[in-house]
Amino acid sequence: MKTVLVVDDDEDIRESVGMILKINGYRVITAVDADDCLDKLSLETPDLILLDIMMPGRPVSDIIKQVTNIKIVFMSIVRENDAKNKGLCDQSNVVDFLQKPFDLNDLVARVEMLLNEDH
Amino acid sequence: MHIKVKERSSNLDDEGFDFKKLILSKINRKLTLLFIIVSLIAPILGIYYFYIITSSTLSKALLNDLDVLFQTAAIAIIVLIAVDAGIIGYLVSRSITKPIKQLYMAAKEVEKGNYDIRVNINTNDEIAELGNALNRTTAALGKMQNEKREIDRAKTEFLSITSHELRTPMTPMKAQLQMLEEGYFGKLNKDQKESLSIIIRNADRLDKIVVDFLEISRIEAARLKFEFTRIDLRTTLKDTVKFMEGFAKEKNIELILKSDKLPIIEADPDRISQVLRNLISNAIKFSNDTSKIEIYAKAKDDHILFSVKDYGSGMTNDDQIRVFEPFYQVDNSLRRKYGGTGLGLTICRGIVEAQKGKIWVDSQLGAGSTFYFTVPLVPVRKIEPIKVLFSQRSIIENKIQDEFKAVLGPLGVGEFNELKNQNSLNKDDLFGYIDSLTKNFILDNDYGLYFKNKIGEIFGEKRGSINNEKDILIQNNRKKVIG
Repeated sequence: MKTVLVVDDDEDIRESVGMILKINGYRVITAVDADDCLDKLSLETPDLILLDIMMPGRPVSDIIKQVTNIKIVFMSIVRENDAKNKGLCDQSNVVDFLQKPFDLNDLVARVEMLLNEDH
Repeated sequence: MHIKVKERSSNLDDEGFDFKKLILSKINRKLTLLFIIVSLIAPILGIYYFYIITSSTLSKALLNDLDVLFQTAAIAIIVLIAVDAGIIGYLVSRSITKPIKQLYMAAKEVEKGNYDIRVNINTNDEIAELGNALNRTTAALGKMQNEKREIDRAKTEFLSITSHELRTPMTPMKAQLQMLEEGYFGKLNKDQKESLSIIIRNADRLDKIVVDFLEISRIEAARLKFEFTRIDLRTTLKDTVKFMEGFAKEKNIELILKSDKLPIIEADPDRISQVLRNLISNAIKFSNDTSKIEIYAKAKDDHILFSVKDYGSGMTNDDQIRVFEPFYQVDNSLRRKYGGTGLGLTICRGIVEAQKGKIWVDSQLGAGSTFYFTVPLVPVRKIEPIKVLFSQRSIIENKIQDEFKAVLGPLGVGEFNELKNQNSLNKDDLFGYIDSLTKNFILDNDYGLYFKNKIGEIFGEKRGSINNEKDILIQNNRKKVIG
């Protein structure tokens, strides 16, 4: 079973995204901010990270710097161009961008595609 | 309040201001001349009497010898006194005109909107008092300007933050709704589905409004992003029309695209498409079933002109002025029927004007509307803030009033107010009014045309579309206006 780490400061988003991924057969772990995310990553290695780029506390760029071997998908209320302008999308393991509010079918389809790519 | 004056002599040339005039202004010249004349009267008279007295007392022979000396001395004295008087006159007059010059330059700066300017006049007279009064006025104006900037900034920031905050809860809300709708939590009956679809539709609508709010906050804060690329905009037109055909089909409306050959220009095709989609979807909204919509583009002078013409319900003159205002709805029942945030045309205006283009509408009630917008051939990279939240009507009314004052003089204000009270500040009524002025010989034909041109421009018509080359005539004809 593939594991997805959902990182978002909004509890309802974590729960909603977690719910749909679980229904679709993934194991889901969650984190509330960048620190929590790095803590979780020290315990286990998920197959994919869904990462909100605007969270209180430590900047997301800290996570990206440390995580180079796990695929990351951004989730954000700001537009992809704004994220690109901040230089967040340059790393090769940052593979996709989900504009909030997203369509759940779209989310599931993208996650599925990204996790099946390796095989 | 004697803060040092900031003299900006370099700006004087920009303004076409004659510096020589200030060094030797009319006052300088008059006073200097007066000094010379006054100071010459006494020595001339003195020399004259001296000459008479000496010529009557001295012997002829001695007088002949002294004559040349007398004459030379007299001329020398007169010239010296004249030069002296000139210099003193000039210096005295300078002491009067210098503070006036300061006041003049300060007033020029205030006119340009520089409220930091202060004058420093220590003459302890009425002019110094005037200077102090000016200083107090500019200080008050500066304070007001700062407050206005602060309010503007706070408004835009509030709009932006609120929009982001409003969007955040939409994500889990829509996610849960979607899961409900797709039966993840069990099958729904018909009523439950119906209820849910209403909730989803309105959640989407709310989200669209928030997205549009964000766009407005970007327009107002000059944060609207443009990504320019060299492009033949006919491609953009074709793609956009093709995309919109899906929506037109629902009402069996035919989209007809006509385009001249367009020059390859640097532009942001996404933004142009955004404006076109908005205009076409509006046109679809106001068209009857099985009608047609014509989309047209052509290159003209320094811009490309786009138009979207429908044969739908059209608009009243008042609607035409206000249609670009936020949340202005020509017909509220249509919004309920077709959705829309009421911000679409406001955003269009923001996008077009950010690129220094123009957007306007020509419409006849019952016959249809044509929306026009222009895209300059040269892209604007430095985006300026555009105040789209202000009432379009009051902006237009102010412009019309200015034009009335310019053309008709003081009489214009009264005429303007009368037309305003009659609810006649629309293009057709104003043109009719100008026609009546020319018919009654209050304005001659050329000047009437000039007036119409100016009014037409306010309503978005291209400069000179009514009659060209008449602008020059205005100066000559101004005096012919009967006041």
